[in-house]
Amino acid sequence: MNDMRIAERATHVSTRKISATGVQVHYGDTHAIKDVNVEIEDKTVTAFIGPSGCGKSTFLRCLNRMNDTIDICRVSGQILLDGEDIYDPKVDPVQLRAKVGMVFQKPNPFPKSIYDNVAYGPRIHGLAKNKADLDDIVEKSLRRAAIWDEVKDRLDAPGTGLSGGQQQRLCIARAVATQPEVLLMDEPCSALDPIATAQVEELIDDLRQKFSVVIVTHSMQQAARVSQKTAFFHLGNLVEFGETGQIFTNPIDPRTESYITGRIG
Amino acid sequence: MSTEIQGSSLFAITDNVRRRNLAEKRFRAYGLSAIAVGIIALIVLLSSVLSNGSGAFMQTYVTLQVELPADKLDKQGNRNVEEMKSVSTFGYTPLIRAAVVARADQLGWGMPDGMTPKDMGAIISKEAAAQLRRFVLANPDVVGMTVTLEMLANGRVDGYMKGRVDREIAALDGNVSPQQLDLVDLLVEGGNLEKRFNFAFLTSPDASGQRPEAAGLGVAILGSLYMMMIVLVLALPIGVAASIYLEEFAPTNKWTDLIEVNISNLAAVPSIVFGILGLAIFINFGGMPQSAPIVGGLVLTLMTLPTIIIATRASLKSVPPSIRDAALGVGASKMQSVFHHVLPLAAPGILTGTIIGLAQALGETAPLLLIGMVAFVKEFPAAPPEGFFDPASALPVQVYNWTQRADAGFVERASGAIIVLLVFLIIMNAVAVMLRRRFERRW
Repeated sequence: MNDMRIAERATHVSTRKISATGVQVHYGDTHAIKDVNVEIEDKTVTAFIGPSGCGKSTFLRCLNRMNDTIDICRVSGQILLDGEDIYDPKVDPVQLRAKVGMVFQKPNPFPKSIYDNVAYGPRIHGLAKNKADLDDIVEKSLRRAAIWDEVKDRLDAPGTGLSGGQQQRLCIARAVATQPEVLLMDEPCSALDPIATAQVEELIDDLRQKFSVVIVTHSMQQAARVSQKTAFFHLGNLVEFGETGQIFTNPIDPRTESYITGRIG
Repeated sequence: MSTEIQGSSLFAITDNVRRRNLAEKRFRAYGLSAIAVGIIALIVLLSSVLSNGSGAFMQTYVTLQVELPADKLDKQGNRNVEEMKSVSTFGYTPLIRAAVVARADQLGWGMPDGMTPKDMGAIISKEAAAQLRRFVLANPDVVGMTVTLEMLANGRVDGYMKGRVDREIAALDGNVSPQQLDLVDLLVEGGNLEKRFNFAFLTSPDASGQRPEAAGLGVAILGSLYMMMIVLVLALPIGVAASIYLEEFAPTNKWTDLIEVNISNLAAVPSIVFGILGLAIFINFGGMPQSAPIVGGLVLTLMTLPTIIIATRASLKSVPPSIRDAALGVGASKMQSVFHHVLPLAAPGILTGTIIGLAQALGETAPLLLIGMVAFVKEFPAAPPEGFFDPASALPVQVYNWTQRADAGFVERASGAIIVLLVFLIIMNAVAVMLRRRFERRW
């Protein structure tokens, strides 16, 4: 773990952004998430690690209610965003998702132009008053996703024509364009090569200045590199949650130690 | 039979491999012969239809100087159209007969034994008298003059010009005699009788069983067009809305399962059953008129809906779920994600399914027989929307109708109608392919 950037790990602001208590998720008869309690802080990168099928992606999708689209999925427990229960019947998931953006495992740009990809969110949420405003949002978002210089001359080109790494950064630009408060990333680098991965990781570190970022990853090195807090999931349980440095250097639970040393998983 | 792999030479083909190769060769031969059988069947079908039907697109016309005596056509001499209407088509027949006789005499025709002027006049279609009467009533001033008129030749004469009838057949046929054919030859030499492209086949209405030469597809084409308009306007929105709801919004439970099974079943229901349904519901219960394109359109809509729904659901399913996730992820509502992203991607499939459904409906005969569209219709339906309620025919039904008539001229007409129907179907399928190519997108 020589690439852990201990110096940057100090969290400047540690206000609570999301707090989940007693979250249970059932897929039909399968009990996918068992009584998870997590506090996600603002302007912090939180990593979820764990072996395949441990429920980390499922839990991530609970945070912006993406699980609502799956008929057989039932979520119980309480998830508060800034103190408001996001599973309250009064909450419209559409409004929630505008606040809690998401980047998916596989880059999934719309089969439209690069510009339209980024402009779509602001358009449907009415964030831009006019065309100049929208242009401005698109440029800012693409710059924030560190892809502006590569695409500024071909904003009309289809987003699907970009390389995998560029597509993923385009998806990040699309997600930040709606000015979310939390950005959820579901294994954003699993389809990318090491160079693109490095670019996206650098980007995640930048994004931390403005958002609270939650990232699911299979790569422990990646978790160690980009996150300040780490949660280790195993068989639907949250086994251990704490400072990334502590999890990787001095885990309390023996299962965490086994996983990060490669004995289980 | 040893199949030692280790240590054997690569050049020695083992029995096992040889058997597998043989099996593969056999399978390829089966596949090729299956395709060959299909192609041969298609060629036989097309060539028989084309050879039978191409004649329908040519028609024999006779051009003659017809005298229009005022004392016969306008006894009062005041050119009053209403009074001239009292002269029926029977009053015009002798004029045409006289014109044939006059021209024959000019060309040096020696009347053979046993042939009368009536026989000579019979080489012109019975339709010609009606045609002449319409012409005179429309232009009353021509009475008393001699006009050059182009008239349809009799169906047998037309058959002779196309090689369907010869003197041997004519000798046995009560409707035409070898002497009449001699007269035809004379008129051809004199430049009065020639074959031309038959636009009237596409534009004129059906004619009675004795006049194949005058029968056309006009009413049938219009009726089919009206029905397709109704089917498109009803089936596309209903089908697409139903599929979107079932595919994107409906929960999966036993009700949606039941609906799904029933839609698949409906697609397999024989079309005549839809005809009975149309007869019972739209005509007997709903009181709609018989033989009307509106009823045909409604029945064909019911028939086309399952096809459109199945095609639409398949193309909605083929849109990758990641696109829906992406849209929901940026905060689009369910409906926005469907209408902004999923539907445009599924559009080529939906359009293709719709056009194929329409093509199926265009060629459908059985349900139309039951709702009375098999009737003999000589009047063109009015312009839509009133025309939807007027009696009309349909292309496939017209084919069915004509194949049942005795006159050999109708065999040719029926095959010609099949060609027209096939051309429409090919155009529709070509449009479907083009749309798919044009809008196909990769992701």
